[in-house]
Amino acid sequence: MIEFAHASLALLNRDIRAVARSRSQLYSSLLFPLMLLALLGTGVSSGLSPTSPRILNGDYTSFLAPGMIAMTALFSSTFSSAGFYRDRESGLLRAMLASPHSPQTILFGKSLGAILIGTIQALAVLVLAVIIPGIDLSWQYGWLGGVATVVVTVLALNFMLSGLSLLLALKIKTMQGFHLVMNLVLFPLFFLSGAFFPLDEVPTWLEAIGYANPLTYAVDLLHYASYADSPDGLIGPLIDGLVLGSLAALLFAFGLRRAPRSV
Amino acid sequence: MPTPEPDIASSQIPVRLTGASFVWPGGRGVADVNLAVQRGEIVTLLGPNGAGKSTILKMLSGEVAPQRGEVSIFGEHHGPSARRRIGLVLQEPSTDDLMTLRETLQLHGRLFGLRRNALYQRCQELLDSLGIGDRANDRCETLSGGLRRRLDIARALLHHPDLLLLDEPTLALDPDSSLAIWETLHDRASDGAAVVICSNDTVEAERNADRVVFVNDGRQVAQDTPSSLTSGLKSDALELDWPELRAADLDELTRWDGVGDTIRTDDGLHLTVDNSAEIVPRLFQTYGSQIAGIRIRESSLRDAWFKIVGRPIENGSGPEA
Repeated sequence: MIEFAHASLALLNRDIRAVARSRSQLYSSLLFPLMLLALLGTGVSSGLSPTSPRILNGDYTSFLAPGMIAMTALFSSTFSSAGFYRDRESGLLRAMLASPHSPQTILFGKSLGAILIGTIQALAVLVLAVIIPGIDLSWQYGWLGGVATVVVTVLALNFMLSGLSLLLALKIKTMQGFHLVMNLVLFPLFFLSGAFFPLDEVPTWLEAIGYANPLTYAVDLLHYASYADSPDGLIGPLIDGLVLGSLAALLFAFGLRRAPRSV
Repeated sequence: MPTPEPDIASSQIPVRLTGASFVWPGGRGVADVNLAVQRGEIVTLLGPNGAGKSTILKMLSGEVAPQRGEVSIFGEHHGPSARRRIGLVLQEPSTDDLMTLRETLQLHGRLFGLRRNALYQRCQELLDSLGIGDRANDRCETLSGGLRRRLDIARALLHHPDLLLLDEPTLALDPDSSLAIWETLHDRASDGAAVVICSNDTVEAERNADRVVFVNDGRQVAQDTPSSLTSGLKSDALELDWPELRAADLDELTRWDGVGDTIRTDDGLHLTVDNSAEIVPRLFQTYGSQIAGIRIRESSLRDAWFKIVGRPIENGSGPEA
Protein backbone atom coordinates (compact mmCIF):
# COMPACT_ATOMS: atom_id res chain seq x y z
CA MET A 1 0.00 0.00 0.00
CA ILE A 2 2.86 2.36 0.87
CA GLU A 3 4.57 1.51 -2.41
CA PHE A 4 1.32 2.15 -4.26
CA ALA A 5 0.99 5.58 -2.63
CA HIS A 6 4.67 6.30 -3.27
CA ALA A 7 4.36 5.47 -6.98
CA SER A 8 1.05 7.33 -7.40
CA LEU A 9 2.48 10.45 -5.79
CA ALA A 10 5.59 10.30 -7.97
CA LEU A 11 3.44 10.13 -11.11
CA LEU A 12 1.12 12.85 -9.82
CA ASN A 13 4.09 15.09 -9.08
CA ARG A 14 5.47 14.53 -12.57
CA ASP A 15 2.16 15.21 -14.36
CA ILE A 16 1.55 18.41 -12.40
CA ARG A 17 5.02 19.65 -13.30
CA ALA A 18 4.35 18.81 -16.94
CA VAL A 19 1.11 20.80 -16.99
CA ALA A 20 2.67 23.69 -15.07
CA ARG A 21 5.27 23.86 -17.85
CA SER A 22 2.64 23.83 -20.61
CA ARG A 23 1.56 27.39 -19.97
CA SER A 24 -0.65 27.63 -23.04
CA GLN A 25 -2.82 24.80 -21.71
CA LEU A 26 -3.09 26.49 -18.33
CA TYR A 27 -4.02 29.90 -19.71
CA SER A 28 -6.46 28.64 -22.32
CA SER A 29 -8.32 26.47 -19.82
CA LEU A 30 -9.04 29.59 -17.75
CA LEU A 31 -9.43 32.13 -20.53
CA PHE A 32 -11.97 30.17 -22.57
CA PRO A 33 -14.66 29.95 -19.85
CA LEU A 34 -14.06 33.58 -18.91
CA MET A 35 -14.45 34.57 -22.53
CA LEU A 36 -17.75 32.67 -22.77
CA LEU A 37 -18.99 34.26 -19.57
CA ALA A 38 -18.11 37.73 -20.79
CA LEU A 39 -19.26 37.43 -24.40
CA LEU A 40 -22.05 34.85 -24.40
CA GLY A 41 -23.30 35.78 -20.91
CA THR A 42 -23.46 39.49 -21.58
CA GLY A 43 -24.72 39.02 -25.14
CA VAL A 44 -27.63 36.78 -24.16
CA SER A 45 -28.48 38.78 -21.05
CA SER A 46 -28.61 42.07 -22.95
CA GLY A 47 -29.59 40.97 -26.44
CA LEU A 48 -32.18 38.26 -25.73
CA SER A 49 -33.42 39.29 -22.25
CA PRO A 50 -34.17 35.71 -21.12
CA THR A 51 -37.38 35.39 -19.10
CA SER A 52 -37.10 31.82 -17.78
CA PRO A 53 -37.66 31.68 -14.01
CA ARG A 54 -34.56 29.47 -13.81
CA ILE A 55 -32.45 32.38 -15.08
CA LEU A 56 -32.65 34.66 -12.09
CA ASN A 57 -33.35 38.30 -12.96
CA GLY A 58 -32.61 37.55 -16.61
CA ASP A 59 -28.91 37.42 -15.71
CA TYR A 60 -27.61 34.79 -18.12
CA THR A 61 -23.94 35.36 -17.16
CA SER A 62 -24.59 34.14 -13.62
CA PHE A 63 -26.67 31.22 -14.91
CA LEU A 64 -23.77 30.24 -17.16
CA ALA A 65 -21.16 30.19 -14.35
CA PRO A 66 -21.83 26.63 -12.97
CA GLY A 67 -21.80 25.30 -16.54
CA MET A 68 -18.41 26.94 -17.11
CA ILE A 69 -17.06 25.17 -14.02
CA ALA A 70 -18.24 21.85 -15.48
CA MET A 71 -16.85 22.75 -18.88
CA THR A 72 -13.43 23.56 -17.45
CA ALA A 73 -13.33 20.23 -15.64
CA LEU A 74 -14.41 18.55 -18.86
CA PHE A 75 -11.76 20.06 -21.09
CA SER A 76 -8.82 20.18 -18.72
CA SER A 77 -9.39 16.59 -17.69
CA THR A 78 -9.48 15.59 -21.35
CA PHE A 79 -6.36 17.59 -22.18
CA SER A 80 -4.50 16.03 -19.29
CA SER A 81 -5.59 12.58 -20.37
CA ALA A 82 -4.04 13.32 -23.75
CA GLY A 83 -0.74 13.15 -21.83
CA PHE A 84 -1.27 9.39 -21.98
CA TYR A 85 -0.61 9.61 -25.71
CA ARG A 86 2.44 11.82 -25.27
CA ASP A 87 3.89 9.31 -22.84
CA ARG A 88 3.00 6.39 -25.06
CA GLU A 89 4.54 7.97 -28.14
CA SER A 90 7.70 9.01 -26.31
CA GLY A 91 8.11 5.49 -24.88
CA LEU A 92 7.95 6.87 -21.34
CA LEU A 93 4.79 4.92 -20.58
CA ARG A 94 6.48 1.68 -21.61
CA ALA A 95 9.42 2.51 -19.38
CA MET A 96 7.05 3.22 -16.48
CA LEU A 97 5.13 -0.01 -17.08
CA ALA A 98 8.41 -1.91 -16.79
CA SER A 99 8.58 -0.88 -13.13
CA PRO A 100 7.55 -3.33 -10.38
CA HIS A 101 4.10 -1.74 -10.14
CA SER A 102 0.96 -3.07 -11.76
CA PRO A 103 -0.34 -1.29 -14.87
CA GLN A 104 -3.32 -0.24 -12.73
CA THR A 105 -1.03 1.58 -10.30
CA ILE A 106 0.73 3.40 -13.13
CA LEU A 107 -2.48 4.45 -14.83
CA PHE A 108 -4.05 5.37 -11.48
CA GLY A 109 -1.10 7.66 -10.76
CA LYS A 110 -1.39 9.21 -14.20
CA SER A 111 -5.16 9.64 -13.86
CA LEU A 112 -4.67 11.25 -10.47
CA GLY A 113 -2.78 14.04 -12.20
CA ALA A 114 -5.59 14.56 -14.73
CA ILE A 115 -8.20 14.54 -11.95
CA LEU A 116 -6.34 16.95 -9.72
CA ILE A 117 -5.49 19.34 -12.55
CA GLY A 118 -9.07 19.26 -13.86
CA THR A 119 -10.38 19.90 -10.35
CA ILE A 120 -7.99 22.76 -9.59
CA GLN A 121 -8.72 24.49 -12.88
CA ALA A 122 -12.50 24.10 -12.44
CA LEU A 123 -12.27 25.50 -8.92
CA ALA A 124 -10.16 28.38 -10.23
CA VAL A 125 -13.12 29.27 -12.47
CA LEU A 126 -15.39 29.11 -9.42
CA VAL A 127 -13.07 31.51 -7.58
CA LEU A 128 -13.09 33.89 -10.56
CA ALA A 129 -16.89 33.67 -10.74
CA VAL A 130 -17.08 34.63 -7.08
CA ILE A 131 -14.63 37.51 -7.51
CA ILE A 132 -16.00 38.97 -10.74
CA PRO A 133 -18.58 41.68 -10.01
CA GLY A 134 -21.87 41.06 -11.78
CA ILE A 135 -21.87 37.30 -11.29
CA ASP A 136 -24.36 36.47 -8.54
CA LEU A 137 -24.25 33.06 -6.92
CA SER A 138 -27.03 32.47 -4.36
CA TRP A 139 -25.41 29.70 -2.28
CA GLN A 140 -28.93 28.75 -1.18
CA TYR A 141 -27.69 26.39 1.58
CA GLY A 142 -24.78 28.58 2.65
CA TRP A 143 -21.46 29.06 0.96
CA LEU A 144 -19.59 26.51 3.07
CA GLY A 145 -21.88 23.61 2.15
CA GLY A 146 -22.16 24.98 -1.37
CA VAL A 147 -18.42 25.11 -1.92
CA ALA A 148 -17.99 21.64 -0.41
CA THR A 149 -20.68 20.30 -2.78
CA VAL A 150 -19.03 21.99 -5.76
CA VAL A 151 -15.64 20.48 -4.84
CA VAL A 152 -17.09 16.98 -4.46
CA THR A 153 -19.08 17.33 -7.70
CA VAL A 154 -16.06 18.50 -9.64
CA LEU A 155 -13.95 15.67 -8.24
CA ALA A 156 -16.58 13.06 -9.12
CA LEU A 157 -16.95 14.58 -12.58
CA ASN A 158 -13.20 14.39 -13.12
CA PHE A 159 -13.05 10.78 -11.95
CA MET A 160 -15.82 9.95 -14.41
CA LEU A 161 -14.11 11.79 -17.26
CA SER A 162 -10.74 10.24 -16.47
CA GLY A 163 -12.30 6.79 -16.59
CA LEU A 164 -13.93 7.60 -19.91
CA SER A 165 -10.71 9.09 -21.31
CA LEU A 166 -8.77 6.05 -20.17
CA LEU A 167 -11.17 3.65 -21.83
CA LEU A 168 -11.05 5.61 -25.07
CA ALA A 169 -7.28 6.12 -24.96
CA LEU A 170 -6.67 2.39 -24.51
CA LYS A 171 -8.86 1.71 -27.50
CA ILE A 172 -7.92 4.55 -29.87
CA LYS A 173 -4.35 4.38 -31.13
CA THR A 174 -3.67 8.01 -32.13
CA MET A 175 -4.04 11.29 -30.29
CA GLN A 176 -5.80 12.80 -33.31
CA GLY A 177 -8.37 10.03 -33.24
CA PHE A 178 -8.79 10.45 -29.49
CA HIS A 179 -9.47 14.19 -29.82
CA LEU A 180 -11.87 13.60 -32.68
CA VAL A 181 -13.89 11.08 -30.68
CA MET A 182 -13.73 13.17 -27.52
CA ASN A 183 -15.01 16.22 -29.38
CA LEU A 184 -17.74 14.13 -30.93
CA VAL A 185 -18.74 12.87 -27.50
CA LEU A 186 -18.02 15.90 -25.34
CA PHE A 187 -19.68 18.71 -27.27
CA PRO A 188 -23.12 17.09 -27.49
CA LEU A 189 -22.80 16.02 -23.86
CA PHE A 190 -21.94 19.55 -22.86
CA PHE A 191 -24.62 21.29 -24.95
CA LEU A 192 -27.30 18.96 -23.60
CA SER A 193 -26.26 19.12 -19.96
CA GLY A 194 -28.30 22.10 -18.85
CA ALA A 195 -25.20 24.27 -18.80
CA PHE A 196 -26.49 26.60 -21.55
CA PHE A 197 -30.25 26.35 -21.08
CA PRO A 198 -32.58 24.84 -18.44
CA LEU A 199 -33.65 21.36 -19.52
CA ASP A 200 -37.10 21.55 -17.94
CA GLU A 201 -38.24 24.13 -20.49
CA VAL A 202 -37.19 22.41 -23.74
CA PRO A 203 -39.22 20.00 -25.91
CA THR A 204 -39.71 16.55 -24.39
CA TRP A 205 -37.39 14.75 -26.83
CA LEU A 206 -34.55 17.13 -25.99
CA GLU A 207 -35.30 16.88 -22.29
CA ALA A 208 -35.18 13.06 -22.53
CA ILE A 209 -31.74 13.19 -24.18
CA GLY A 210 -30.63 15.67 -21.54
CA TYR A 211 -31.62 13.36 -18.69
CA ALA A 212 -29.81 10.47 -20.34
CA ASN A 213 -26.64 12.56 -20.29
CA PRO A 214 -24.41 11.92 -17.25
CA LEU A 215 -23.04 15.45 -17.40
CA THR A 216 -26.55 16.83 -16.72
CA TYR A 217 -26.36 15.51 -13.15
CA ALA A 218 -23.06 17.28 -12.51
CA VAL A 219 -24.33 20.59 -13.91
CA ASP A 220 -27.57 20.20 -11.95
CA LEU A 221 -25.64 19.66 -8.73
CA LEU A 222 -23.44 22.67 -9.43
CA HIS A 223 -26.52 24.81 -10.07
CA TYR A 224 -28.15 23.46 -6.93
CA ALA A 225 -25.15 24.18 -4.72
CA SER A 226 -24.00 27.54 -6.04
CA TYR A 227 -26.35 29.40 -8.38
CA ALA A 228 -30.00 28.50 -7.71
CA ASP A 229 -31.99 30.25 -4.98
CA SER A 230 -34.45 27.36 -4.64
CA PRO A 231 -34.52 23.65 -5.52
CA ASP A 232 -37.48 24.19 -7.90
CA GLY A 233 -36.93 22.78 -11.38
CA LEU A 234 -33.72 20.96 -10.37
CA ILE A 235 -33.23 17.20 -10.21
CA GLY A 236 -31.85 17.42 -6.71
CA PRO A 237 -28.70 16.33 -4.89
CA LEU A 238 -29.77 12.79 -4.06
CA ILE A 239 -30.31 11.60 -7.63
CA ASP A 240 -27.47 13.79 -8.93
CA GLY A 241 -25.09 12.34 -6.37
CA LEU A 242 -26.16 8.76 -6.98
CA VAL A 243 -25.90 8.95 -10.77
CA LEU A 244 -22.64 10.89 -10.79
CA GLY A 245 -21.01 8.85 -8.02
CA SER A 246 -21.98 5.50 -9.53
CA LEU A 247 -20.84 6.45 -13.01
CA ALA A 248 -17.57 7.90 -11.73
CA ALA A 249 -16.79 4.74 -9.76
CA LEU A 250 -17.84 2.43 -12.57
CA LEU A 251 -16.06 4.17 -15.44
CA PHE A 252 -12.88 4.77 -13.46
CA ALA A 253 -12.71 1.22 -12.16
CA PHE A 254 -13.49 -0.21 -15.58
CA GLY A 255 -10.86 2.02 -17.23
CA LEU A 256 -8.19 0.87 -14.77
CA ARG A 257 -9.20 -2.76 -15.11
CA ARG A 258 -8.48 -2.63 -18.81
CA ALA A 259 -4.93 -1.34 -18.25
CA PRO A 260 -2.47 -3.46 -20.24
CA ARG A 261 1.15 -4.30 -19.36
CA SER A 262 2.24 -3.65 -22.93
CA VAL A 263 1.37 -0.45 -24.83
CA MET B 1 27.91 -24.54 -37.31
CA PRO B 2 27.54 -26.01 -33.81
CA THR B 3 24.77 -24.57 -31.66
CA PRO B 4 25.46 -25.62 -28.09
CA GLU B 5 22.35 -26.22 -26.05
CA PRO B 6 22.28 -24.00 -22.96
CA ASP B 7 21.98 -25.70 -19.62
CA ILE B 8 18.44 -24.46 -19.22
CA ALA B 9 17.65 -26.79 -16.35
CA SER B 10 19.96 -25.09 -13.88
CA SER B 11 18.15 -22.97 -11.32
CA GLN B 12 21.26 -20.81 -10.92
CA ILE B 13 20.72 -19.28 -14.35
CA PRO B 14 19.13 -15.84 -13.90
CA VAL B 15 17.44 -15.70 -17.29
CA ARG B 16 15.84 -18.59 -19.07
CA LEU B 17 13.56 -18.88 -22.05
CA THR B 18 12.46 -22.44 -22.70
CA GLY B 19 10.69 -23.17 -25.96
CA ALA B 20 9.20 -19.69 -25.82
CA SER B 21 6.94 -18.56 -28.68
CA PHE B 22 4.94 -15.42 -29.25
CA VAL B 23 3.07 -14.40 -32.39
CA TRP B 24 1.69 -10.89 -32.83
CA PRO B 25 -1.62 -10.29 -34.57
CA GLY B 26 -0.61 -10.25 -38.23
CA GLY B 27 1.69 -13.23 -37.90
CA ARG B 28 5.08 -11.83 -36.94
CA GLY B 29 6.78 -13.13 -33.84
CA VAL B 30 9.20 -15.78 -32.64
CA ALA B 31 8.97 -19.53 -32.19
CA ASP B 32 10.68 -21.98 -29.90
CA VAL B 33 13.35 -19.74 -28.40
CA ASN B 34 15.72 -21.38 -25.92
CA LEU B 35 18.04 -19.02 -24.19
CA ALA B 36 19.90 -19.02 -20.90
CA VAL B 37 21.95 -16.04 -19.74
CA GLN B 38 24.43 -16.24 -16.89
CA ARG B 39 25.39 -13.54 -14.41
CA GLY B 40 28.20 -11.39 -15.77
CA GLU B 41 27.48 -12.43 -19.33
CA ILE B 42 26.76 -10.10 -22.25
CA VAL B 43 24.53 -11.79 -24.81
CA THR B 44 23.64 -10.14 -28.08
CA LEU B 45 20.53 -11.11 -30.00
CA LEU B 46 21.72 -10.42 -33.53
CA GLY B 47 19.46 -10.20 -36.55
CA PRO B 48 17.95 -7.91 -39.15
CA ASN B 49 14.92 -5.69 -38.61
CA GLY B 50 11.82 -7.79 -38.26
CA ALA B 51 13.69 -10.90 -37.16
CA GLY B 52 11.94 -11.05 -33.77
CA LYS B 53 14.69 -9.79 -31.44
CA SER B 54 12.49 -7.17 -29.79
CA THR B 55 9.77 -9.77 -29.23
CA ILE B 56 12.28 -11.92 -27.35
CA LEU B 57 13.27 -8.88 -25.31
CA LYS B 58 9.61 -8.17 -24.56
CA MET B 59 9.15 -11.70 -23.29
CA LEU B 60 12.18 -11.23 -21.05
CA SER B 61 10.97 -7.86 -19.74
CA GLY B 62 7.49 -9.23 -19.07
CA GLU B 63 5.76 -6.90 -21.52
CA VAL B 64 4.33 -9.94 -23.24
CA ALA B 65 3.95 -13.47 -21.92
CA PRO B 66 4.99 -16.35 -24.16
CA GLN B 67 2.02 -18.08 -25.75
CA ARG B 68 3.96 -21.33 -25.59
CA GLY B 69 6.99 -22.25 -23.53
CA GLU B 70 8.25 -20.52 -20.42
CA VAL B 71 10.19 -17.51 -19.28
CA SER B 72 11.95 -17.50 -15.95
CA ILE B 73 13.67 -14.48 -14.45
CA PHE B 74 15.73 -15.27 -11.35
CA GLY B 75 13.81 -18.45 -10.86
CA GLU B 76 10.32 -17.01 -11.07
CA HIS B 77 7.77 -16.19 -13.69
CA HIS B 78 7.28 -12.51 -14.28
CA GLY B 79 6.11 -10.57 -11.28
CA PRO B 80 6.95 -7.42 -9.32
CA SER B 81 10.07 -8.89 -7.72
CA ALA B 82 11.46 -9.99 -11.09
CA ARG B 83 10.72 -6.59 -12.63
CA ARG B 84 12.47 -4.92 -9.72
CA ARG B 85 15.69 -6.64 -10.85
CA ILE B 86 15.41 -5.64 -14.51
CA GLY B 87 16.74 -2.49 -16.15
CA LEU B 88 15.18 -1.86 -19.56
CA VAL B 89 16.37 0.35 -22.40
CA LEU B 90 13.87 0.67 -25.22
CA GLN B 91 14.70 0.92 -28.91
CA GLU B 92 13.85 4.64 -29.08
CA PRO B 93 14.94 7.20 -26.47
CA SER B 94 12.04 7.39 -24.01
CA THR B 95 12.17 10.73 -22.29
CA ASP B 96 9.71 13.54 -21.70
CA ASP B 97 10.98 16.76 -23.28
CA LEU B 98 9.50 18.87 -20.49
CA MET B 99 11.30 17.04 -17.68
CA THR B 100 14.87 17.65 -16.63
CA LEU B 101 17.39 14.82 -16.59
CA ARG B 102 17.30 14.68 -12.81
CA GLU B 103 13.49 14.63 -12.72
CA THR B 104 13.45 11.81 -15.27
CA LEU B 105 15.71 9.71 -13.08
CA GLN B 106 13.92 10.67 -9.88
CA LEU B 107 10.55 9.62 -11.27
CA HIS B 108 11.88 6.20 -12.17
CA GLY B 109 13.84 5.89 -8.96
CA ARG B 110 10.67 6.47 -6.98
CA LEU B 111 8.78 3.93 -9.09
CA PHE B 112 11.49 1.46 -8.12
CA GLY B 113 11.15 2.36 -4.45
CA LEU B 114 14.36 4.36 -3.99
CA ARG B 115 14.18 6.91 -1.19
CA ARG B 116 14.65 10.59 -1.67
CA ASN B 117 18.15 11.27 -0.29
CA ALA B 118 19.78 8.12 -1.63
CA LEU B 119 18.03 8.72 -4.94
CA TYR B 120 19.39 12.24 -5.35
CA GLN B 121 22.91 10.98 -4.79
CA ARG B 122 22.48 7.98 -7.08
CA CYS B 123 21.12 10.17 -9.89
CA GLN B 124 24.09 12.50 -9.78
CA GLU B 125 26.54 9.60 -9.54
CA LEU B 126 25.06 7.94 -12.64
CA LEU B 127 24.80 11.13 -14.66
CA ASP B 128 28.43 11.89 -13.81
CA SER B 129 29.57 8.40 -14.75
CA LEU B 130 27.89 8.73 -18.15
CA GLY B 131 29.38 12.18 -18.74
CA ILE B 132 26.13 14.15 -18.46
CA GLY B 133 26.36 15.25 -14.83
CA ASP B 134 26.63 18.91 -15.82
CA ARG B 135 23.30 18.67 -17.67
CA ALA B 136 21.32 17.31 -14.68
CA ASN B 137 19.02 20.32 -14.48
CA ASP B 138 18.53 20.81 -18.22
CA ARG B 139 15.32 19.75 -19.86
CA CYS B 140 15.48 16.61 -22.00
CA GLU B 141 14.40 18.63 -25.05
CA THR B 142 17.89 20.19 -25.07
CA LEU B 143 19.68 16.84 -25.38
CA SER B 144 21.12 15.33 -28.55
CA GLY B 145 20.20 11.76 -29.52
CA GLY B 146 23.42 10.41 -28.01
CA LEU B 147 22.92 12.18 -24.69
CA ARG B 148 19.29 11.02 -24.53
CA ARG B 149 20.54 7.49 -24.97
CA ARG B 150 22.96 7.94 -22.10
CA LEU B 151 20.05 9.15 -19.98
CA ASP B 152 18.09 6.01 -20.92
CA ILE B 153 21.02 3.91 -19.80
CA ALA B 154 21.29 5.87 -16.54
CA ARG B 155 17.59 5.26 -15.92
CA ALA B 156 17.96 1.54 -16.55
CA LEU B 157 20.90 1.34 -14.13
CA LEU B 158 19.32 3.47 -11.41
CA HIS B 159 17.99 0.66 -9.21
CA HIS B 160 21.09 -1.58 -9.54
CA PRO B 161 19.40 -4.19 -11.75
CA ASP B 162 20.74 -7.73 -12.00
CA LEU B 163 19.46 -8.06 -15.55
CA LEU B 164 19.86 -5.39 -18.19
CA LEU B 165 17.74 -5.60 -21.35
CA LEU B 166 18.72 -3.18 -24.09
CA ASP B 167 17.15 -2.75 -27.51
CA GLU B 168 19.68 -1.31 -29.98
CA PRO B 169 21.33 0.88 -27.32
CA THR B 170 23.95 2.38 -29.61
CA LEU B 171 21.97 2.67 -32.83
CA ALA B 172 22.96 5.80 -34.81
CA LEU B 173 25.10 7.15 -31.98
CA ASP B 174 28.36 9.03 -32.25
CA PRO B 175 31.49 7.01 -31.33
CA ASP B 176 31.95 8.78 -27.98
CA SER B 177 28.43 7.99 -26.83
CA SER B 178 28.72 4.39 -28.03
CA LEU B 179 31.98 3.97 -26.19
CA ALA B 180 30.59 5.47 -22.98
CA ILE B 181 27.60 3.13 -23.14
CA TRP B 182 29.68 0.01 -23.82
CA GLU B 183 32.09 0.86 -21.00
CA THR B 184 29.13 1.15 -18.65
CA LEU B 185 27.65 -2.15 -19.81
CA HIS B 186 30.96 -3.98 -19.40
CA ASP B 187 31.28 -2.50 -15.90
CA ARG B 188 27.82 -3.73 -14.97
CA ALA B 189 28.56 -7.18 -16.36
CA SER B 190 31.82 -7.25 -14.35
CA ASP B 191 29.72 -6.49 -11.29
CA GLY B 192 27.64 -9.59 -11.98
CA ALA B 193 24.69 -8.32 -13.99
CA ALA B 194 23.39 -10.36 -16.92
CA VAL B 195 23.11 -8.21 -20.05
CA VAL B 196 20.95 -8.98 -23.09
CA ILE B 197 21.19 -6.67 -26.10
CA CYS B 198 19.27 -6.58 -29.38
CA SER B 199 21.38 -5.43 -32.29
CA ASN B 200 21.94 -5.74 -35.99
CA ASP B 201 25.51 -4.46 -35.72
CA THR B 202 27.83 -7.42 -36.27
CA VAL B 203 30.95 -5.40 -35.49
CA GLU B 204 29.72 -4.29 -32.06
CA ALA B 205 28.44 -7.78 -31.28
CA GLU B 206 31.75 -9.39 -32.18
CA ARG B 207 33.68 -6.84 -30.18
CA ASN B 208 31.53 -6.76 -27.03
CA ALA B 209 29.37 -9.85 -26.63
CA ASP B 210 30.36 -12.96 -24.71
CA ARG B 211 27.76 -14.87 -26.67
CA VAL B 212 25.79 -14.10 -29.80
CA VAL B 213 22.39 -15.49 -30.72
CA PHE B 214 21.47 -15.28 -34.39
CA VAL B 215 17.76 -14.55 -34.82
CA ASN B 216 16.24 -14.73 -38.26
CA ASP B 217 12.60 -14.86 -39.41
CA GLY B 218 11.38 -15.47 -35.87
CA ARG B 219 13.77 -18.36 -35.27
CA GLN B 220 16.92 -18.69 -33.24
CA VAL B 221 19.29 -20.10 -35.85
CA ALA B 222 22.58 -20.26 -33.93
CA GLN B 223 24.17 -19.24 -30.67
CA ASP B 224 27.78 -19.34 -29.54
CA THR B 225 30.72 -17.15 -28.65
CA PRO B 226 31.75 -14.77 -31.46
CA SER B 227 35.06 -16.60 -31.85
CA SER B 228 33.33 -19.98 -32.18
CA LEU B 229 30.86 -18.62 -34.69
CA THR B 230 33.68 -17.26 -36.84
CA SER B 231 36.15 -20.10 -36.24
CA GLY B 232 35.22 -22.16 -39.30
CA LEU B 233 35.54 -19.24 -41.68
CA LYS B 234 38.41 -18.60 -44.10
CA SER B 235 40.43 -15.55 -43.16
CA ASP B 236 39.20 -13.04 -45.76
CA ALA B 237 35.77 -12.17 -47.06
CA LEU B 238 34.97 -10.90 -50.55
CA GLU B 239 31.73 -9.31 -51.66
CA LEU B 240 31.51 -9.20 -55.42
CA ASP B 241 29.08 -7.16 -57.52
CA TRP B 242 28.51 -9.76 -60.19
CA PRO B 243 24.94 -9.48 -61.45
CA GLU B 244 25.42 -11.85 -64.40
CA LEU B 245 27.04 -14.65 -62.38
CA ARG B 246 26.33 -17.98 -64.11
CA ALA B 247 25.79 -21.26 -62.27
CA ALA B 248 28.67 -22.86 -64.15
CA ASP B 249 31.07 -20.09 -63.10
CA LEU B 250 29.97 -20.40 -59.49
CA ASP B 251 30.47 -24.13 -59.66
CA GLU B 252 33.96 -23.67 -61.04
CA LEU B 253 34.80 -21.09 -58.40
CA THR B 254 33.85 -23.36 -55.49
CA ARG B 255 36.48 -25.82 -56.72
CA TRP B 256 39.34 -23.33 -56.53
CA ASP B 257 41.90 -23.96 -53.79
CA GLY B 258 41.60 -21.49 -50.93
CA VAL B 259 37.94 -20.69 -51.56
CA GLY B 260 35.59 -21.42 -48.68
CA ASP B 261 31.89 -20.69 -48.45
CA THR B 262 30.24 -19.12 -51.48
CA ILE B 263 26.81 -17.59 -51.21
CA ARG B 264 24.96 -16.07 -54.09
CA THR B 265 23.39 -12.69 -53.25
CA ASP B 266 20.83 -10.53 -55.06
CA ASP B 267 23.48 -8.74 -57.08
CA GLY B 268 26.51 -10.97 -56.94
CA LEU B 269 28.50 -13.27 -54.74
CA HIS B 270 29.77 -13.42 -51.19
CA LEU B 271 32.70 -15.71 -50.50
CA THR B 272 35.35 -16.36 -47.91
CA VAL B 273 38.89 -17.17 -48.96
CA ASP B 274 42.21 -18.14 -47.34
CA ASN B 275 44.18 -15.37 -48.95
CA SER B 276 42.53 -12.54 -50.84
CA ALA B 277 45.91 -11.42 -52.27
CA GLU B 278 46.04 -14.65 -54.28
CA ILE B 279 42.36 -15.08 -55.11
CA VAL B 280 41.44 -11.55 -56.17
CA PRO B 281 43.97 -11.26 -59.07
CA ARG B 282 42.93 -14.70 -60.29
CA LEU B 283 39.26 -13.72 -60.10
CA PHE B 284 39.84 -10.65 -62.25
CA GLN B 285 42.01 -12.57 -64.72
CA THR B 286 39.24 -15.13 -65.19
CA TYR B 287 36.02 -13.15 -64.80
CA GLY B 288 37.19 -9.52 -64.72
CA SER B 289 34.83 -8.25 -67.39
CA GLN B 290 31.80 -9.55 -65.47
CA ILE B 291 32.73 -8.22 -62.01
CA ALA B 292 31.48 -4.67 -61.48
CA GLY B 293 32.87 -4.16 -57.98
CA ILE B 294 34.54 -5.84 -55.06
CA ARG B 295 34.83 -5.30 -51.30
CA ILE B 296 37.59 -7.07 -49.41
CA ARG B 297 37.88 -7.37 -45.63
CA GLU B 298 38.81 -9.75 -42.87
CA SER B 299 36.19 -12.38 -42.14
CA SER B 300 33.93 -11.50 -39.25
CA LEU B 301 30.64 -12.27 -37.57
CA ARG B 302 28.95 -10.74 -40.58
CA ASP B 303 30.32 -13.63 -42.67
CA ALA B 304 29.28 -16.18 -40.06
CA TRP B 305 25.76 -14.77 -40.41
CA PHE B 306 26.10 -14.96 -44.19
CA LYS B 307 27.16 -18.57 -44.00
CA ILE B 308 24.40 -19.66 -41.62
CA VAL B 309 21.49 -17.58 -42.92
CA GLY B 310 22.48 -17.34 -46.58
CA ARG B 311 21.95 -13.63 -47.01
CA PRO B 312 23.41 -10.40 -45.63
CA ILE B 313 22.15 -9.27 -42.23
CA GLU B 314 21.01 -5.91 -43.57
CA ASN B 315 18.47 -7.64 -45.84
CA GLY B 316 15.77 -7.45 -43.20
CA SER B 317 12.16 -8.30 -43.75
CA GLY B 318 10.28 -5.19 -42.61
CA PRO B 319 9.71 -3.39 -39.35
CA GLU B 320 10.96 -4.95 -36.16
CA ALA B 321 8.47 -7.25 -34.49
